[in-house]
Amino acid sequence: MATSLQNAPETTGSAARRPTLSERQKVAIVTVSVLAVVTAVAALRAGSSTVLVQALVTGVLTGGIYSLVAMGLTLIYGVLHIINFANGALVALAMYLTFVTVDTMGVHPYTALLVVVPAMGVLGALLQTSLLNPVMRAPIQIQLLVTIGLALAIENVLLLVFGPTPRSVQLPGNVGVSILGATVELSRIYAFVGALVLVAILSLVLQRTAIGTSIRAVAANPEGARLVGINTKSIYSVTFALGAMAAGAAGVLVAPFTTIEPTSGAIFNLTAFVVVVLGGMGNIPGALVGGLVVGLTEQLAGLILPDESPLLAVFVVFLIVLFIRPKGVFGRAS
Amino acid sequence: MKRSLRNWSVVGLAGATLALSGCAGSAVSAAGGDAEATTEDVAEIHIGALHPLTGSNAADGQQMAAAAQMAVDAVNEAGGIESLGGAELVLDSADTQGEAETGQSEATRLIEEGAVALLGTFQSGTSANVASVAERNQVPFVMDVSALDEILEQGYTYSFRLQPSASQMGTQGAESLLSLVEDSGAEVDQVAYLYEQGNYGAAAYETFLAEAEEAGLTVDPVIQYDPAAVNDMTTQITQVAASDADALVVTGYYRDSLLVAQAVDIVEPDLQAVYGVANGAYDQPDFVNDAPNGGDGYFDANYHWDVTNADSQALAEAFEAEHGEPIRSSAVLSYDAVMVIAEALERAGSTDTTAVRDAVTETGYAPLMVADGPVTFDETGQNTNAAVVVMQIQDGDIVQVFPQEFAETDYVFPAPPTE
Repeated sequence: MATSLQNAPETTGSAARRPTLSERQKVAIVTVSVLAVVTAVAALRAGSSTVLVQALVTGVLTGGIYSLVAMGLTLIYGVLHIINFANGALVALAMYLTFVTVDTMGVHPYTALLVVVPAMGVLGALLQTSLLNPVMRAPIQIQLLVTIGLALAIENVLLLVFGPTPRSVQLPGNVGVSILGATVELSRIYAFVGALVLVAILSLVLQRTAIGTSIRAVAANPEGARLVGINTKSIYSVTFALGAMAAGAAGVLVAPFTTIEPTSGAIFNLTAFVVVVLGGMGNIPGALVGGLVVGLTEQLAGLILPDESPLLAVFVVFLIVLFIRPKGVFGRAS
Repeated sequence: MKRSLRNWSVVGLAGATLALSGCAGSAVSAAGGDAEATTEDVAEIHIGALHPLTGSNAADGQQMAAAAQMAVDAVNEAGGIESLGGAELVLDSADTQGEAETGQSEATRLIEEGAVALLGTFQSGTSANVASVAERNQVPFVMDVSALDEILEQGYTYSFRLQPSASQMGTQGAESLLSLVEDSGAEVDQVAYLYEQGNYGAAAYETFLAEAEEAGLTVDPVIQYDPAAVNDMTTQITQVAASDADALVVTGYYRDSLLVAQAVDIVEPDLQAVYGVANGAYDQPDFVNDAPNGGDGYFDANYHWDVTNADSQALAEAFEAEHGEPIRSSAVLSYDAVMVIAEALERAGSTDTTAVRDAVTETGYAPLMVADGPVTFDETGQNTNAAVVVMQIQDGDIVQVFPQEFAETDYVFPAPPTE
């Protein structure tokens, strides 16, 4: 399970490396060819190339947003083996913090990153230290219940403080731009770029820093990590803080095109879980790919089966992937 | 092993107790109602209000509970229920949390605690469950907001609905659009229809389609979406733009309808109007703040409080003074629901729940909502005088524009959503 963190192939030595890569190539080829066939069918159904291009572009961009929201979830699962049901609530909290920052200080929404991300990091560390560290050895359902309780608490505190009226954050100069004939809001492009940057930053932190090495060590073998002198409890706190910071960045980046309500983050919960499992639990680039798969599936299914919920197609794809690769597209089948 | 066995038996016992108390809840209360009926001089009469005070519909739910309380206060200030010795009304407000099961158990609790009538619940699924509880316990249930037609198709005799049903709104929405087009002399031969795929969207669409086809209006393309999951409407609006539709009709909730407006703003389809039917956004003050260009020109055919009625205006002012936000139509419906119950209690001169039900069926209360006449329930419990009015956003204000008798100002048609 621990090897599902994305560094796994590198740490298992060069012998294991080559088969893993060709495995990945196979997955990539299958994914791309399935996508091509589905796109062709969608093109026939849509009857207009503009609509098809729009669906593809929108699919990629919403996919980026899904993976952005799922990033914190997969990181926390990969290291702590906690399924963080409070992820959506943390994203909603970050949206409200963005709203407050923009509203009181009158700054550009993205400047709120400087306030919201550190604040969420501190909050994440506090939550792990006070609520989750004491139950790390307890059965998994105890940790689940703690995070569900946390989600309820956060959403209802938001309701209490801000009331039920929806809020919004306006991004100056948020116009529609044309990409290959498709129209896209600038804020969604920024969010997509943000998702890519977040993947890069998290990968760098995990691969190239001392703290990242410690996190990977704890993920791989907590007992072993403790034996070589790593303070596992503080690594748990650092990881949850990183996860909460990712949720914070996601909240800031999606705030300009989202109706901000206490339940705004929870809307993404179901999709985020699918994204995480599709990409391989704990696999950060996997979350990006999972997000793109879900985003494109939704859009193309909307064209092919206009009378069905796009979620139907998403779950059909989800079940097929789980059937063929129970550990997710990029999770290592062990 | 022993310990885990004991744990399981505790769980089992708790489950059994819960199940038993559930059974008791559904049967006992009718007797309670009868017992009260024998003492005609009551000091207090309890009315149960069920609304989503938390969860994603809390914005409406909290306003509705507040407006119901204002109605109760108004009745009490005017001397209470005079035929019952000036008995005071007491509103027991419960939180459905937006969930049908919670609504059902809270309804049972309120009845057990002595409520002689219920009102609520904003969501059709919850109302369907509460209606069955009301029927079983023979307690009248007045629905303020709940559009689904099927709730009243079960042969219930204790459930009533003030708002127009989804099919009434679809039909009247189509009629209004057709007359608007004819009145303005504009050329609209084809409309696109975008709706949320739940019962409410589907019912509004199907009845709209029937009415439109009869009048020779083409409805194409027809696109449905999942309101709980949708995050972007650009593809859907591109489909509309690629068609020959002259106008776009939208039935949806707040968040998704706002996404439609955002997508319309960037895709810029060539449309003469965006026209909501029973839309959850296009007649909300929040939408004016959140939408591109302030949503200028957007129409909505929906139930609405009667802006031209002096009593409604007085309520709206009092509400805004007390709660600091403009009153929503859903809250005015809750106010009307309490008034229907209070007026029935007055005529019944009794707290016997069946006597109150009988009085409700004969109500002639003049509502604060836009209506074709006083509240009149047919044999299914539907208010046949419930009506929709067409509103339009003009220069940041939501104004009633059609039909003429309820119009504050003239409509603007065509009203292209993008300049």
